[in-house]
Amino acid sequence: MTVYESDLPGVGKKHEIDLPDGSQLVVVTHNEGRREVFLRADPDSDSEKLFELPDRLARQVGTILEGAYFQPVKSQDIETLLGGDTLLEWVDVDEDSPIAGQTLGESDLRAETGASVVAVERGTDVIPSPGAETTIHAGDRLVVVGTRENCEDFQSRVDGA
Amino acid sequence: MAAGLLELGQVFAVLAIAGAVALRIGLSVIPLYVVSGMLAGPFVAGRFGVPHVPNGELLTVLAEVGIVLLLFFLGLEFSLDRLLAARSRITRAGVVDVAINLPLGIAIGLALGWSVVEALLLGGIVYISSSAIITKSLIDMGWIADPESEAILGVLVFEDIVVAVYLAVVAAVAVGASGGGGGTADLALSVGRSLAVLAVLVALAAYGTPLLNRLLDTRSDEQLLIRVVAAAAGVGGLALAFGVSEAVAAFFLGAAFGATEHVHRIERVITSERDLYAAVFFLSIGIETNPALIAGVAVPLAALVVVTTASKLLSGYYGGRAYGLSERRSTRVALALVARGEFSLVIAALATRPDIALPQGETIVALAVGYVLVMGLLGTVLMRYSGVIEGRVVKSLG
Repeated sequence: MTVYESDLPGVGKKHEIDLPDGSQLVVVTHNEGRREVFLRADPDSDSEKLFELPDRLARQVGTILEGAYFQPVKSQDIETLLGGDTLLEWVDVDEDSPIAGQTLGESDLRAETGASVVAVERGTDVIPSPGAETTIHAGDRLVVVGTRENCEDFQSRVDGA
Repeated sequence: MAAGLLELGQVFAVLAIAGAVALRIGLSVIPLYVVSGMLAGPFVAGRFGVPHVPNGELLTVLAEVGIVLLLFFLGLEFSLDRLLAARSRITRAGVVDVAINLPLGIAIGLALGWSVVEALLLGGIVYISSSAIITKSLIDMGWIADPESEAILGVLVFEDIVVAVYLAVVAAVAVGASGGGGGTADLALSVGRSLAVLAVLVALAAYGTPLLNRLLDTRSDEQLLIRVVAAAAGVGGLALAFGVSEAVAAFFLGAAFGATEHVHRIERVITSERDLYAAVFFLSIGIETNPALIAGVAVPLAALVVVTTASKLLSGYYGGRAYGLSERRSTRVALALVARGEFSLVIAALATRPDIALPQGETIVALAVGYVLVMGLLGTVLMRYSGVIEGRVVKSLG
């Protein structure tokens, strides 16, 4: 990501941020604190003003963008440390996963990896404490408990790696 | 006492009405302030026997404060470091601008049969674009986010520097020329004194930063404001006493303050004072101006408008190209730089200063006022219709 900073004498500062689609986000920070945010579709076109914020509001919005209040994370990275070395982890079952269509018993995941499935999230439903006869479908999200090593093994078995 | 306070009330009441009108019709306030001064002053309101704003001592002093703060603020934003780091692109665009417009203005002055000093003033008046009008329009039009605004604001900064130095020399020459009938010795003495005062201020900017940092070191915004105004008014007054332009002294003082760590706080506390007194200055120059005099210079005014609009468009376009902008964006630079305003008036105000008192002084002020009224409006209008003009320019060149 490239950010260009330039002085606007008598006005304030301008920051231009290159976006992946080739457009540019332009933030003009006025000396008195106001921020104006523009979008420029390509270098030759004119900037279109998106919105403007007073100083305080701009800072608040900034901290939200920065992730100070809420950090969205990709699903395979979700994990919670239960204490010691034990993790609670969420594992997605893809279309091409070798265990899709098998029951938990058939997959033999617990014996092979040491991690056990404590719940299956299927769409909006949750199957708590699934038994050996529970069939795993592609698209399921498995809630798994085990050591970090167990969980990593589990993840690679599910991914078919 | 009552008379003075009443006069102050009148001044700001007129300004308030002018400002409200400007906001309503979406124009820059500067031309409106000047016109309101003319209408409310002795030449129009006074003529019709309506209570008018007198052109008294109070107004003169407040207007002087306006000039000092305008230039002080300009100096603040312009630190010496930035001058040294000035990018060559801006310098190229700025040189095109000054090389075309300044000599042209001087030539027109000489062609009108004016003295060299008078012609020099006219050169400055037609050269310098209006930072206030143009900056506001850039923000209003949303051009501020686009590359042309960097070129435009860069050229304005370049102009400020040229004019600060130019004013210093012209004011000194003018004072020297008026004392003792323009003897060479007087002239040399005056210019020497002017340069000495400026050398002190430049030395302050270059080496005095730690001292200024200490002098301005206070937590209270109120104390900061008082100290800054004391310095600006004091140095401006001292400069005048030495026959040096107070505007130039204020500019260099501002540059010295601009190098301190307090610069952003100073800008914040001084902005509203600057706006207040600058408004009084614009009103005051309107009050001094007899509209009949403007009517009397209508022909040279019209010629000046036509010729210098064309020259600014030309220099702006080629300045934009020299800056590396496309044809369309260069056209915008050209259109934006047409507006003239506050600094043309500051330069014109020199002509009627008591210690200079040029023979054509009143004519110069009348011409400058008429010029700023036309160019301030024309510049704003040209920017508003830039879409049409850009299309034509790009088509005719392509």
